[in-house]
Amino acid sequence: MVEIFINDRSIKVPEGITVLKAAERAGIHIPHICYHEAFAPEGSCRMCLVEIEGHLCLELACATQVKEGMKVFTETENVRQARQGVLEFLLAEHPMDCPICDKAGECTLQDYYEQYGLFESTFMEQKERKDKNVPLGKGLILDRERCVLCTRCVRFLRDITQTEELGVFERGVYSEIGIFDQRLIDNNYAGNLTELCPVGAITDKDFRFKTRNWFLEKGASICPLCSRGCNIFIEHHPGFARFDVPKRVYRITSRVTSREKDQKEKGYWICDIGRYGYSYMDQDRAEKIVLKQGDSALDPKKAVTYAADQVKKLIYKNKLNRLGVISNTWLTNEELFLVKKIFTENLESQKVFFPTTAQREADDLLLTSDRTPNKKGAQEIGFSLEAISEGQVFDGTELLFVFWASPFDLDQLTGLMSKIKEVQTKILFTPFEREWNKDFDLVIPTAVPAEKAGSFTNEDERIQHFGPVLYSPGQARAEWEWLVSLGKEIKVDFKSYARLSSPFDVFQMMKKKIKFFGK
Amino acid sequence: MNKVPEKVLTQNFGVEHLFKIDVYMKKGGYKTLKKVIKELKPEEVLNEVKAAHLRGRGGAGFPAGVKWSFVPQDADKPKYLCVNADEGEPGTFKDRYIMSHNPHMLLEGIVLTSYAVGIHHAFIYIRGEYENIARRLERAILEAEKKGFVGKNLLNSGFDLQITVHRGAGAYICGEETALLESLEGKRGHPRLKPPFPAAVGLFQCPTVINNVETLSNVPYILEKGADWFIQQGIPEDGGTRIFGVSGKVKNPGIYELPVGSSLKELIFKHAGGMKSNKKLKAVIPGGLSSPILKPDEIDIPMDCESLMKADSMLGSGAVIVLDEGVAIIDVLRKVTQFYSHESCGQCTPCRIGNSWIHKTVQRIYQGKGKKQDLDTIQRLASNMLAKTLCPLGDAAAMPILAIVKKFRKELESFIQGTIK
Ligand SMILES: Cc1cc2nc3c(=O)[nH]c(=O)nc-3n(C[C@H](O)[C@H](O)[C@H](O)COP(=O)(O)O)c2cc1C
Ligand code: SF4
Ligand code: SF4
Ligand code: SF4
Ligand code: FES
Repeated sequence: MVEIFINDRSIKVPEGITVLKAAERAGIHIPHICYHEAFAPEGSCRMCLVEIEGHLCLELACATQVKEGMKVFTETENVRQARQGVLEFLLAEHPMDCPICDKAGECTLQDYYEQYGLFESTFMEQKERKDKNVPLGKGLILDRERCVLCTRCVRFLRDITQTEELGVFERGVYSEIGIFDQRLIDNNYAGNLTELCPVGAITDKDFRFKTRNWFLEKGASICPLCSRGCNIFIEHHPGFARFDVPKRVYRITSRVTSREKDQKEKGYWICDIGRYGYSYMDQDRAEKIVLKQGDSALDPKKAVTYAADQVKKLIYKNKLNRLGVISNTWLTNEELFLVKKIFTENLESQKVFFPTTAQREADDLLLTSDRTPNKKGAQEIGFSLEAISEGQVFDGTELLFVFWASPFDLDQLTGLMSKIKEVQTKILFTPFEREWNKDFDLVIPTAVPAEKAGSFTNEDERIQHFGPVLYSPGQARAEWEWLVSLGKEIKVDFKSYARLSSPFDVFQMMKKKIKFFGK
Repeated sequence: MNKVPEKVLTQNFGVEHLFKIDVYMKKGGYKTLKKVIKELKPEEVLNEVKAAHLRGRGGAGFPAGVKWSFVPQDADKPKYLCVNADEGEPGTFKDRYIMSHNPHMLLEGIVLTSYAVGIHHAFIYIRGEYENIARRLERAILEAEKKGFVGKNLLNSGFDLQITVHRGAGAYICGEETALLESLEGKRGHPRLKPPFPAAVGLFQCPTVINNVETLSNVPYILEKGADWFIQQGIPEDGGTRIFGVSGKVKNPGIYELPVGSSLKELIFKHAGGMKSNKKLKAVIPGGLSSPILKPDEIDIPMDCESLMKADSMLGSGAVIVLDEGVAIIDVLRKVTQFYSHESCGQCTPCRIGNSWIHKTVQRIYQGKGKKQDLDTIQRLASNMLAKTLCPLGDAAAMPILAIVKKFRKELESFIQGTIK
């Protein structure tokens, strides 16, 4: 540790960190544009200049390492003037598209002008006109007039994806970002460029002109589309009922936590599958409880009673070995724990089956081959995913509970449907309205991960908790709610379910029972 | 200074076919190399050059020996020498004379320098337009290889050195040392952020020495005649001679080799024959376009790094551009701003946009649409570039612009007001 002084305030910081980082620790923001934590300093925007005692010129906060006793000043007249100078330069050749720019409201240039600029423009010359609609591939559009040439995009594709699709072309004021020889961007991380770009120079078709970002609420969640479990924000219009507007969710963005920061090259990004694959949240959602016989709308209580009665029938007949369960690794740790508690422990069923999910190609960065969020969790809870074969589940089964939460892998269930149909009584918990729902005796609508609280255990054995971001539609409720009600209603172990009123309660129970979750 | 100036680098320039190795050797060439390789250890060579106070002739005037000593000697990476023959600074034309008249003098300097620093591969990065000179250098290298002055185990010393000529593609910025390295590596000529300095992390991430052609050409003479002799040629902190390239409105434009510290006034009025057509002197740009302009009352000044720095200008590449009364200062300003806005690499904000903005404003003034406040704006913008850019090109642009506007404000103001057109 070394002692340095920032604006006369003494702080102790680790040796070798930059002035910018040291200031951050002291709660002092030094404006910067080209610098990004994931990359080596580039030193090109010149926004982060600060004064250091004993130095002749202003120095770059992003690239200068602290030294014992260093005295840094971030708010002197010189610094202020240098910052204004840089902003003045950038804005001189800037199109000022803010009213029609998707970045407005979260634009570094706007923010810094408000904080450090607020000068009158003295630029009286002709602005350079540049291309404003350059397709870069994967739905990304480049506006060269808005570009501040921070080269974050170039460095991302060079250092992180190592695909190098973008480069700087031309020189001086004509410098521009471009692709080489029509080789469009084509990698699974391209969407990160829209976030990485400090201004509205790179936007994507998915979000372009759809809303204004200040209408959006950011809800913290975990991406369920592979077992990496990237931390995300689900950005949505809050308060809108699902069908009043065509969309609730407008974009998924990366959420950088301190844990992410530890793993530089991986931590800041999310993949395009996770970023753009959110439409399932609003498509074909099951909203009503449907009982086949009687086809009347049921209230939740009656639905649970119906399901519990089916179980009780088996209990009375002493035929619990006729009970089967098809589960899946889209359920949270808490939900899987409840499945285990009810079906394996209370009801002693030996037939909790996890259909094998398709393994797809992983990449070297984040995307894993398992495209479900909680395989590790299921294993830690004690399910041996391959132990039970398909045949065993259906063998003699009279009552089948099916939990199907994945919006994908439809083939898997389709393949099982002919066997499922033969079972006497079958109950489906699912967030989706699908062809096969009509073949079940009871369909109970459930929530997608964005709508529930709970936790997933990712491939790296991180237990990641999340809360609900969106309301679940209609009668849909998270599986854990249904399972707790069912546990109560079956009455084998009423007391322990009666204590559970949230996933948090369930997790407390898990922590006591399973060492992995207690650590 | 009344002694007749002794010519060093240019002493044999009149000799026919000096560029051929036999002629060069007849004139005593490569003798120093043979002697040094046999008798001196590398660190002795380095110390001699250090003691000679040989300052860089490329622009910044950094002491060459000191620069060499920054190269880590214990690194297990290869070390490189890059010879800066980009000669892009407007007004500068001395290196081309050296390389075309006496390429072996440069090669001898390169071999000695490489020997001193422990370098086994040297690159000559030469301005693209100097195609014929590049050929000449390549032929000279072949000749030197045949004679065993260059190559594996040269002069049976156990020391290896390969010299490669690399042609640039015409960008001024590629004369900046780190942009030169990038260009040599096959990338865009974008200057690198410093530190690390090339001496530690240079070409292909390896320790690298970068020196100007003229700088290295002095090395054989320092080792032949000694550091003390060299210092006596110039001034104590700035040894040797300089090849001044005088251009513009003088009777005899050309190169003049004079001791460091010679008077600028004498250079113009004595050596270069004074003003052409006997017009009145208006201004002098003393060290290449980047050096701040001097008015006639400021030219009684010794041409050495320190003296010019004290006069808020710089010796730069020693390229003296002489302007007479007939030259309109708006034309000078316009040329300056046009050049830098064209040559800015575009990497950093103040230089990319500052230079273009200033040039647009100057252009508008030139077209008769200037406004009173324009000169203040230009000064403010140039100050916002000064010492705030990634590489020295920002300063190289800001300094002359500021000097011109400050020293010729009246003329520019009356131009704006339309009293002169
Ligand atoms: C924009 C710019 C252009 C330059 N062009 C040249 C050049 O053409 N030739 C040169 O020798 N040095 C040039 N320099 C200086 C080099 O960066 C470097 O200082 C020099 O080559 C070092 O050699 P020296 O110490 O022997 O002078 C330039 C510097 C800048 C900032
Ligand atoms: S990039 Fe920022 S400043 Fe530029 S138009 Fe968009 S919102 Fe406005
Ligand atoms: S497009 Fe965006 S990220 Fe890329 S250089 Fe321009 S401003 Fe920076
Ligand atoms: S000062 Fe100019 S030439 Fe140097 S890096 Fe910045 S933009 Fe490029
Ligand atoms: S953030 Fe330091 S130069 Fe851009």
